[in-house]
Amino acid sequence: MTTGSLLAADLVVAVLVAAGWLAAGAVAAAGRRRIALGLATCALTATIGRAITIVALSRDGWWFAAEKVLIAGPLLVAGVAVAALALLRKRTESVALLFAGYASTAAVLVTVLHGYPVSGGVALYAVSGVAAATAVTWRVLGPRPSPTVSRAAVVVAIAALVAGTGLAASAGATPAPQHQHAPVAGPAVSEPAASEPARQFTLTAGTATVEAGGKKVEAWAFNGQVPGPEIAATVGDVIEVKLRNRDIDRGVTLHWHGYDVPNDQDGVPDVTQAAVLPGQEFVYRFRADQAGTYWYHTHSASDVGVRMGLYGVLVVRPRPVSGLDVIVPVHTLSGQILPAPAVTAAAPGSPVRLRLINTDSTTHRYAVAGAPFRVAAIDGMDLRHPSPLSEQALLIPAGGRYDVLTTAPAVLYVDGRQLWSTGAQPVETAHWPVFDPLTYGTAEPVPWSRFDRSFTLVLDRGLDLRGLLPRYAHTVNGAADPDIPVQFVRRGDIVKFTIVNRSLVVHPWHLHGHHVLVLARNGQPATGSPLWLDSFDVRPGEVWEVAFEANNPGMWANHCHNLPHAGAGMMLHLAYE
Amino acid sequence: MRKAFAVVSTALLIVFALQFVFAAVGAFTKPQADSSYALHSLTGMAVIPLLTLLTTLFAYLAKAPGRLIGLSILPLGLTILQALLAMLANAFTDASGGSTVAGLIVGGLHAVNGIVAVHIVVAVVRGARKLAQSPNAVERESAAAPSVDVA
Repeated sequence: MTTGSLLAADLVVAVLVAAGWLAAGAVAAAGRRRIALGLATCALTATIGRAITIVALSRDGWWFAAEKVLIAGPLLVAGVAVAALALLRKRTESVALLFAGYASTAAVLVTVLHGYPVSGGVALYAVSGVAAATAVTWRVLGPRPSPTVSRAAVVVAIAALVAGTGLAASAGATPAPQHQHAPVAGPAVSEPAASEPARQFTLTAGTATVEAGGKKVEAWAFNGQVPGPEIAATVGDVIEVKLRNRDIDRGVTLHWHGYDVPNDQDGVPDVTQAAVLPGQEFVYRFRADQAGTYWYHTHSASDVGVRMGLYGVLVVRPRPVSGLDVIVPVHTLSGQILPAPAVTAAAPGSPVRLRLINTDSTTHRYAVAGAPFRVAAIDGMDLRHPSPLSEQALLIPAGGRYDVLTTAPAVLYVDGRQLWSTGAQPVETAHWPVFDPLTYGTAEPVPWSRFDRSFTLVLDRGLDLRGLLPRYAHTVNGAADPDIPVQFVRRGDIVKFTIVNRSLVVHPWHLHGHHVLVLARNGQPATGSPLWLDSFDVRPGEVWEVAFEANNPGMWANHCHNLPHAGAGMMLHLAYE
Repeated sequence: MRKAFAVVSTALLIVFALQFVFAAVGAFTKPQADSSYALHSLTGMAVIPLLTLLTTLFAYLAKAPGRLIGLSILPLGLTILQALLAMLANAFTDASGGSTVAGLIVGGLHAVNGIVAVHIVVAVVRGARKLAQSPNAVERESAAAPSVDVA
């Protein structure tokens, strides 16, 4: 069983435990002792099941099980002990069973509302809630507890509440993240001189009506088209893009996704520049010194902005285009899949380069049929000795790019839909196994033997009460943007990230300004070609270890590229000291 | 207090009815986005739990029989379960985010649980109205709990 399915199974069992004890208590209160005993037996069985899932999760990694062992465990043990004792002595059975119900409900809520990192404050809140609910139940159900017991319960509830609040407040009093808003023009990427001739583009952002899937739909577009104009260059060119905003009230910027530009060109509003508001403009200028398939998109209100169509392709070729070079930037606009299906005539045997881009917030499944193919590059970076593949599906994460080399006749499917072909016969691809880039191509030793900085990012969901309105945020190490502390590195540091997904959904991770080298996934070292990625899916229960050299100074966003998740808190920053 | 209990429980029932409307609003919003169910989530995770707690508080203050108080707190547990079911249904998706059989079964339970919860609220409203109408409810309380039929 994968850790991801174990996380889901644990939650299901936890719910059954709580429901079982609560139902047993309610039935006992209604005077049906035999049914209550039956339900209590079921609840006990489920509790034992939960103990098993908790132990299994703790073997997969302490991140997955910490709060379950330290908070849920004692609550469950207390619940079972009290319930068993009351049933044996046949006294206050309903209250005892309900106590077990409240304790196991608190155990679920701790995991769901604030599981990581384990906090004394949260544990005390849970104790307080259980004590208060039990005290009230006892008063209502009678026989009235002795004043001593009653008082004790109230004192426990209040003391735990006060202590929990104190702990939570002191934990929250960590120094506020210092966001320095001065972008740094780092010399890591050679700065083009102002006088140097450049490939010039002008992108004007505005609302527009465009055609998608044969329908007219409302969109936000660059130059009235979705995707925006293709920015193509040859290695060594200087790219100059004038961005104008006609009427996008929430502002626009251009972020060169995966392109490791100097910090002041990165296009993150309030970090590297101010958002370009209606009527304003901003000029981006950088040298195209990395060949590969990239894309650009707005980073201002990026969730809605990108979804509505403010994105386009950035392709840098090592030499002028030769042969069939097909770019497929997949996007979902108003429920319609872009681009429209296309057929290109090609002589059998002629080479085809497919540049597959996922501009959506969720993973897409690509299948290349008709002829064997190679994955030549991922996220713009060439792979070493890619071997021919056939009948394997490619899962491209949100924001990710794969360059695939094949020969005509060829067909490309995205999520089972034919999006491009050379007129080849349709093929059934739904049953194809999934390609794993970590074991593809030939390995090369990791270029570093030591790591100067190591950071762990634990991805989860949790209640965030720091804003104006409480929200159920997507969190990193228990905090949500803008309250996640900035992580600092020094220029020249070799930095290692361990990224752990405790949640039930995929998080496509994206660090700006750097490609990271994949070291291992779930403790298994990557054995294939070195993988330098800028967007990678961390699935539920997965642990990725990646590293990079800090060679591009500035303040960089580091976030989940499922953009609604980023908007709901899953965004932090990496800064150079 | 008995009047207040009846009023608040009726308000809870109305919000429950609206919650079904909001679910339909989410289902028929085109194109589907994470925000389609914003109204449904907000009502389910904030308004309904608050009203349920309020209903229970008034049930207690109105000296309703224990069974009715228990019945009035029950929707809180079911609402927590409801949120967890929605979360799990979304968790059981395939690699490219499509729905799976397991996810759809859990999603179906979300609907079943909603129906169960609304029936319990109907029972609470009936109990509360009966309590408000009977002039000597306090005396009757000790004698026998009013018959509450779960519709």
